[in-house]
Amino acid sequence: MTDIAAAPARSVGFFFALAPRGKAVFFALAATAVCLLFAFPVFWLILTSLRTGTGVYYVHRGTEFTTDNFHEVLSQEIVLRALFNSFMISTLATVLSLGVTATSGYMLSRFKGPIPNAWFSLIYIFRCVPYVAWVLPLYFVTQKLHIFDSYWGLLLPHIAVHICFFSWIMKGFFDGIDPSMEYAAMIDGCSRWGAFWRVAMPAAVPGLTALAILCWLYTWNEFLFALILTAHETPILTVVMAQFVHELGMEWHLMSATAVIALVPALIVTLFGQRYVIRGLRI
Amino acid sequence: MADIVLSNVHKVYGHVVAVTDINLAIKDREFVVLVGPSGCGKSTTLRMIAGLEEISAGTIAIGGRVVNHLQPKDRDIAMVFQNYALYRHMSVRDNLAFGLRNRRVPADEIAAAVSRAARILSIEPLLDRRPHQLSGGQQQRVALGRCIVRNPKVFLFDEPLSNLDAQLRAQMRLELKELRLRVPTTSIFVTHDQTEAMTLGDRIVVMKDGVVQQVGTPLELYRKPANRFVASFIGSPSMNFITLRVSADGEHFALACHGWQFRLPARRFPHLGSHVGRSISVGVRPQHVRLGAPVNDDQIALNGAVTVTEQLGDEQLLAVRLGDGEIRIAGADPDLSLPTGTQIEAAIATDHLHFFDELEQI
Repeated sequence: MTDIAAAPARSVGFFFALAPRGKAVFFALAATAVCLLFAFPVFWLILTSLRTGTGVYYVHRGTEFTTDNFHEVLSQEIVLRALFNSFMISTLATVLSLGVTATSGYMLSRFKGPIPNAWFSLIYIFRCVPYVAWVLPLYFVTQKLHIFDSYWGLLLPHIAVHICFFSWIMKGFFDGIDPSMEYAAMIDGCSRWGAFWRVAMPAAVPGLTALAILCWLYTWNEFLFALILTAHETPILTVVMAQFVHELGMEWHLMSATAVIALVPALIVTLFGQRYVIRGLRI
Repeated sequence: MADIVLSNVHKVYGHVVAVTDINLAIKDREFVVLVGPSGCGKSTTLRMIAGLEEISAGTIAIGGRVVNHLQPKDRDIAMVFQNYALYRHMSVRDNLAFGLRNRRVPADEIAAAVSRAARILSIEPLLDRRPHQLSGGQQQRVALGRCIVRNPKVFLFDEPLSNLDAQLRAQMRLELKELRLRVPTTSIFVTHDQTEAMTLGDRIVVMKDGVVQQVGTPLELYRKPANRFVASFIGSPSMNFITLRVSADGEHFALACHGWQFRLPARRFPHLGSHVGRSISVGVRPQHVRLGAPVNDDQIALNGAVTVTEQLGDEQLLAVRLGDGEIRIAGADPDLSLPTGTQIEAAIATDHLHFFDELEQI
């Protein structure tokens, strides 16, 4: 018995047996390995965006770099329109989704009864359905409603998905906020709505900010809905990017340049928002 | 005038009855404490008065006006919560001013009211801080300030001292009493701590399982508990209970259990007559058991072995084996050396005996 018990203790003890300095080195190496794993594709993307069309396939041979790819994609009207559309769709989807998600999460957190239960069940069922399964029905619905290939045709499905996914997270934020603060506000002269708006919402700002960032990034990066629910009228960046692969060949250099351009706003939002995301999701 | 009258108030959650038939009249400027164990319905009662819970049946009137269907904001009340419930995104000053701003009070009046409240509670240096920068005691003062700044008809306190450590709690109790003198307002205070109830309340309402057990002044509750629950809940250490069988013995009643018996004159305890041949519960407070032999006929003797002693510095608490049970004795000389097993003799004045059947004091 003693031997069996001792064996795992020895293997687990490897890390703890290291000196503090050794532990730090071990951690640094592990962290570097993980970072490289994620950073390498981005590095390769940037590298490809700076190569000529033919040089893409011979990266290891040449050292010829150019910014022409960026000039070329930015001179295409469809790319500029796609950038604008993606930005607008992401921002509008974030604002509208959070408007509904905040009230939905608050209701799930604070109220009991048939209506919150029904709402809870509904979003639970919607969450259970695989994301991909929505695409084809949504295509027909948007056609029928004559909103295919328009802002609303893409915004409404995004908002619906966000409500299903983020109401739960928002409920968690409000669960972490003491309801007696709202009761105090109600005694201090607020209505129920006033207590929500003036006391619960300001207290939920870290959570809301985190959700806003996640929501924006999610919509900015989304591909499938954009591919199926839009066409030439409303080009979206992720779809335009993919269209550099066509029947005449694959323009990896242009696709990479567009991807790097798409990366910049996402990077800015992430850098700006990471401390809010960490703080918000910690509630 | 801001008297509060609860008439036949019930509260039911689905099939669970939380509060049953509460009738209570609280006078203007009276300080009433609702006390009882967890789940006894005291906080629910307070929340119904505040308007945070709907009333299933009955009426609640504040200042002669039935408030059953009024929103909390329209009841002219203020409430202190267990966890203070300060608005964490606002400064202390804004916390205090919030209620007045909602009522569209002119800015200069708000400033004056906030400074007055801050002066009363000595929180003037804290006015520009945020709640998370304050200690528990300071937060509690701000919560009190938020109440008094509005000058409401009624103060409601929902276990406001529970989150404080013992020393701070004792200090805040004193401050609350001082505050009462400076800002006399009808108040209802909910607590599970009988010491808070005894020290703060003009009257105490003892509750259990959603039912009011007794309403009275602290001394009435201590000296004349209505039933065994009140007797055990009020007083620290809590009352001793011994089950004894009553029998008639000429002009006396004999009360006996395994290992202890005594006689009481029938003339002085006529109410025991109806319990002859039955068992009753006899209660005696630990403070009313005195070490030593009886000194007169009005005292009864008990003998037993010490099982545990607790040294408190100014006194010792003893647990003494008595028949099958144990009896606690308070007020023993702290210098007495009483090792476990020491046989002691003690005396109880018969005036201090309480007799209970299953329901109430006999």
